[in-house]
Amino acid sequence: MKSRGLAFKLILFTLSGTTAVFLCAFIYIYLSSRNSMMRYVEENARNLTHSTAYQIEKLLTGVEKVVLNYGAILSTTQYEAENIAPLTEQIVSTNPEIYGAAIAFEPNRIVETACYFSPYSYRMDEKHLVNIMLGDSSYHYFTMDWYQIPKELNRPAWTEPYYDDGGGNMVMATFAVPFYKDHNGARRFQGVVTADIALHGLQQIVSAIRLYDSGFAFLISKNGVFITHPDKNLIMTDSIFSIAEEKQSSLLRWIGKDMISGGEGLVPLESGLLAGSKCWLYYAPLSSIGWSLGIVIPEHDLLGSVNRLGRMVFLIAVSGVLLMIVFVMLIARRITKPLKDLSATTMEIARGNLDARLPDVQGGDEISTLASSFEDMRLALKDYIKNLTETTAAKERIESELKIARNIQMSFLPKAFPPLPGKDRFAISARIEPARQIGGDLYDYSLIGEDRLFFAVGDVSDKGIPAALFMAVTKTLLKGIAETGMEPSEILRRCNLELYGENDSMMFVTVFCGILDMRTGMLTYSNAGHEHPIIIRQGGQPESLPVPDGFFLGVMEDASYENMEIKLEPGDKIIIYTDGVTEAMNSAGALYSHANLMATARSCSSLSTEEIAEKILDSVTQFSSGIPQADDITVLALSFTGAKY
Amino acid sequence: MELKNQKQDKFFIVEVSGRMDAISAPEFEKSCLEWIQQGESTLLVDLAGLEYMSSAGLRSILVVGKKLKSVGGSLSFSSLAPTVAHVFSISNFASMFPVHESLEKALGNS
Repeated sequence: MKSRGLAFKLILFTLSGTTAVFLCAFIYIYLSSRNSMMRYVEENARNLTHSTAYQIEKLLTGVEKVVLNYGAILSTTQYEAENIAPLTEQIVSTNPEIYGAAIAFEPNRIVETACYFSPYSYRMDEKHLVNIMLGDSSYHYFTMDWYQIPKELNRPAWTEPYYDDGGGNMVMATFAVPFYKDHNGARRFQGVVTADIALHGLQQIVSAIRLYDSGFAFLISKNGVFITHPDKNLIMTDSIFSIAEEKQSSLLRWIGKDMISGGEGLVPLESGLLAGSKCWLYYAPLSSIGWSLGIVIPEHDLLGSVNRLGRMVFLIAVSGVLLMIVFVMLIARRITKPLKDLSATTMEIARGNLDARLPDVQGGDEISTLASSFEDMRLALKDYIKNLTETTAAKERIESELKIARNIQMSFLPKAFPPLPGKDRFAISARIEPARQIGGDLYDYSLIGEDRLFFAVGDVSDKGIPAALFMAVTKTLLKGIAETGMEPSEILRRCNLELYGENDSMMFVTVFCGILDMRTGMLTYSNAGHEHPIIIRQGGQPESLPVPDGFFLGVMEDASYENMEIKLEPGDKIIIYTDGVTEAMNSAGALYSHANLMATARSCSSLSTEEIAEKILDSVTQFSSGIPQADDITVLALSFTGAKY
Repeated sequence: MELKNQKQDKFFIVEVSGRMDAISAPEFEKSCLEWIQQGESTLLVDLAGLEYMSSAGLRSILVVGKKLKSVGGSLSFSSLAPTVAHVFSISNFASMFPVHESLEKALGNS
C-alpha cells in the first residue's frame, strides 16, 4: 500500500504539473494558430471576393462599353429604318458575352405608320442567331423596365434581373442606353439600345468559386434578390431580406442593407442563417451595377486545419503524459522496492529480532544512506540492549545483595528481649525504619550481669551502604566495650578512639547510651552529640532529658565524655530517637519538629513501650505521607517497672 | 542548596542557603575543597540563609575543617538560624569551630 501511495503521489504531482504546462501550451497554440488562420482566411476571402468582383465587373463594363458606343452612334448619325436591324445582329455576333441586343424606338418615330419598332437579335444556340421584331398588342415594350428606366432617368441603366418571356425567355439583366435626335433644334428622346446578359453565365463564374470544403459565393441585386446561389430555388425568388425576415435575424437584415448600399466587410454568422453551420461571410460590392458579392465560409472548414493541429498537439500531450506515467512508476518502484524491504526488516527488528540483516541498498542515494543508518541503528540498539541486559543483571544482583545485607543488618539488632531473669523489672522496645534498603541508624540493648541493662541509640552521618558498614562497626564496638562493665562515658571514649583510626572520610556517629541499675532505678548515661531523649515521669508530662556535652564518635581523637545520673521511679519512661523523626518532612516542606514529637509523647504516658515506638513511628509516617523518606528513623522506648519488686 | 562566595580582606566568605542534606552536602564539600586547593585558607561560612542541616552536612563541615587544619587554615561560621544552632549545639560543633552571631561581627572580631 505504501509503495503505491508514493508512486501515486509522484504521478499525481508530476502529472498535474506537466498537464498544466501542456494545457497552457495547447491553448496558446490553438488560439494563436486560430488567429493566424482567421487572418489568413480573411485575407484570402477578401482577395477572392475582389478578384471575382473584378472579373464580373470586367464582363459587365465590356457589355456597357459596347452598348454605350451604339448609343453614341445612334445619337450622332443619320440612319434609315432598314439600317437598324443589322446593328442588333452585329452587336450579338461580335460580343460573345452578350446574349441578346435590341434597339427600341419611340412609337411612330422612325416609321410613321409603325407603332412598334424594335429589332432584337439573340442567341438560339452556340451557332445560330435569331432576329425578330419586338412589340405587338400583347408586348408593349414601352412599359418594360429596360425601356422606362433609361428614358425617365435620361441616362444608361442596368435593369433588375428579370425573366424575359418576350425576348430571350430566360433570366437576364439588361443594360440600356438612351439615344436622342435633334428635333427643331431640341434634343428629343428617340429610343434605347440594350444588351442582355444571361445570368447563367454569371452563375458559372460565381459557382466556380470554391472555398475549402463547403464554402460558396452568391450575388444579390440592388434589391437584395439572389442572382446566383448554389441553391437554385432561391434565385430570383428570395432576397437576403426575405431570409432575414424568415429567420428573425436583425443581423442579417443589417448585413443586407450594408451589402446593397455598397459596404464591404467580414462578419460571423450563426448557424442556419446562410449555411447549416456557423460561418463567416465576406462581402464586397460590384459598384457599376449596384450588386453585391458574398462569400460564405463555414467555420468548421476554417477551423478544420486548426482543429487538426489541436488534435495532433493533444495526442502528443496525452502520449507524453502516458509515457511520463510509465517513467514515474518505474522510478517510484525503484525507490519503493528497497523501502519496502527496509520496512519489512525494521518491523522484524521492532519485534525484537536484532539479528535481522538489513538489505544492502546500492546506489549511494538517500535510500542507501537510510539503509546504512538503519544498520547503524540496529547495531547500536543491539549494543545498547546488551549493555542494558548486563546493567540490569548487575543492578538486580546489587539489589538482591542489598536485600541480604538488610536481613543481616536487621538480624543483629535485638528484636525482643531474651527470656532472662529480671526482664519483668523493665520493658524495652525499638523500631527502626531505614530510608533505603539498609541504613546508618542503630540501637542496642543487653543485660550486663543480672541487674544492669545497657542500651544505646546511634545515628551514622550518612545513609546507605557506607553508613551501614560504619553502623555495624559501631554497634559491635559498643556492645563489646559495654560487656566489660565500663561506665557509659568510658564506653563512648573507647569507641571513639577505635573509630577515629584512619577515618579519612570523616564519617561519624552520634550515640546516646545508658546503663540502668534495675535494683535502684539509677540511670547512668552519656551522650556523643545525639538528640536529647525524652523522659516521661509517672503521671507527668514529657520533658527533654538534660545530657552532658560530648562530640560525635569517630572524628576527634581526644574527645572526652561525661556521665550524668538520674533516678527513675517505677512507671517512668525514656524515649530515645534519631533526627530522622524530628526532621521528617511533609509535602509542604515543613519538618515534623521536636514540638510535634513532644505532643505525640504526651499521649504516650499510659502506653506500653511497644505501643509508644509504634505510635511515634506511625505519627511520623502519616506526617510525611507521599514524600520519600529522607533519613533513617529509629525510636527506642524504655519503661522502668522496678516497683514490682 | 545554593552557594555564593566572595573575598573580603583575608576572609573567603561562603554564603550557604537552602538545605544542606545528604544530597547537597557533597557539593558543599567539593566546592570548599576546590577553594582550599586554590589557596584559600581562612573560610568563613555564613549560614544566614540555611534552613536545615543534616548529619551529612555536619560530616561535610568536618571534612572541610580537617582539610583546613592540615594546611594551617581556619573555619568559622556566622548567622546560624535557630534550627541550625540547635544542631550545632547538640553536636558540640560550637566548641569545635568559632561561631559568630553575624557576618559583620565575624569580620570585626578578627
